[in-house]
Amino acid sequence: MKSSTLAKKIGFYAMIIIVWQGLDSADIWPDNIFPSPVDVVEDLAYGVADASLFYGIGTSLLRLIIGLSIAIAGGLVLGIFMARVETVNQTIGSLVLGLQSIPSIAWVPLAILWFGLTDTGIIFVVVIGAIFAVTINTYTGVKNINPSYIEAARNMGAKEGQLITSILIPAAFPFIISGFKQGWAFAWRGVIGAELLFSFLGLGFLLNVGRQLNDVSQVIAIMLVIMGIGILVDGVVFKKIEDKVMTRWGLR
Amino acid sequence: MGKLESRNIEKYFTHDGKPLKTLDGIDLNVEDGEFVCIVGPSGCGKTTFLRIAAGLEKPDDGEILLDNQPLNNTGPDRIMVFQEGALFPWLNVQDNVEYGLKIAGIPKEKRNQISHRYLDMMQLTQFATSYTYQLSTGMKQRVAIARALVMEPDVLLMDEPFAALDAQTRDLLLVEMQLIWQKTKKTIIFVTHNVAEAVMLGTRVLVFTHRPGRIKKEFKIDYKRPRISEDENLLPYQQKILAELRPEVKK
Repeated sequence: MKSSTLAKKIGFYAMIIIVWQGLDSADIWPDNIFPSPVDVVEDLAYGVADASLFYGIGTSLLRLIIGLSIAIAGGLVLGIFMARVETVNQTIGSLVLGLQSIPSIAWVPLAILWFGLTDTGIIFVVVIGAIFAVTINTYTGVKNINPSYIEAARNMGAKEGQLITSILIPAAFPFIISGFKQGWAFAWRGVIGAELLFSFLGLGFLLNVGRQLNDVSQVIAIMLVIMGIGILVDGVVFKKIEDKVMTRWGLR
Repeated sequence: MGKLESRNIEKYFTHDGKPLKTLDGIDLNVEDGEFVCIVGPSGCGKTTFLRIAAGLEKPDDGEILLDNQPLNNTGPDRIMVFQEGALFPWLNVQDNVEYGLKIAGIPKEKRNQISHRYLDMMQLTQFATSYTYQLSTGMKQRVAIARALVMEPDVLLMDEPFAALDAQTRDLLLVEMQLIWQKTKKTIIFVTHNVAEAVMLGTRVLVFTHRPGRIKKEFKIDYKRPRISEDENLLPYQQKILAELRPEVKK
């Protein structure tokens, strides 16, 4: 990042905190409705001190990782099948497009009925929220592969199974990685949303506790944590992978 | 009996819902170690013929025989070098060259040994760990040729591999290609629209007619090697071939 860009960003966020503190000092709203930045930081520090914050982050991330891994594996298989077998595309493909339009939170009632208030239920919501984004991007990626890659590989003796691992997945990787990125975004929303309704540990649960205790600063603190993790994963993890892929594949 | 034989190959494509005859009875006998060049106007089906020989496309009639055995699939005994190289951008140069060997289950040590030999032959050794985006077009075609050669195919099928190159790089590769052919004694079918290129490379040059593609005439090129592009003694060959080709291009 250029230093001038960084300076702008720092200035912008500093301004938000100053305005926020100013509004709080003006005493327009009571403190239990509109906490100061200091209150929020204190709340975060409290969560760090008794480790409840780490426990919440850990629980949510674990569910996310399990759910997203299943979604990625399933989405890759489904997407490749759809791209390679026209019948699968015409049948399952149309269903996938329909299911993708259902917000993952709408699966929560079904998940509770099927799995009860369990980890499995939350993971189900995460999987179902993320899998179709991975599927559709994988499908698009495989469909867009330069046909001469596939022909060259077959010509050199690649069988269908070898074709999948040695050509289809790597050649479609620029698309697949955006599928992972979208899948992660849906999964992250899904896990927090499900935890709110399941009220069963995790960051979503802590949000709900904050609401029940009328503790606005805890609610805001947890929201900041959720945003922070989002920025970290998007801006660091995925950006690194994307940059590398884009350069290597000659797309930049 | 030749190395690769084409018997009455016919091929139709559908154009605006109507069948369009692209290849009209291609009979061809390529001897072991021959370097056959096919020239023809664009759309004459020369690339289609090569793809059929490679088994990447099925003929509507006729058959292709390799060592007298009819073929109906693609396989590493006939390796195709594509016009745009079709190198895999996610693999570095060495891994690209070793791709076919890896698919065949050849152990790493043996693979490296083979690929080093051909990387060296194509003067690519110092680029072994480069990725394709770091290579010039000429370099990429060298890699594509090395990738084909490591397979030690019976027949090398080349589809206008030098069409996208600048004149200097092409001249260089045309000479190298002759040296490789002399060294490896491969049977090569080389498709091009460039008559000068065909005359430099071929032991035999076939002229295809405009659609539907037929073999109009063939020319033996008996001339010492390596032939270079500025050699004026090659001009009469070019003129004779051009005289056959020109009416086809104008159709």
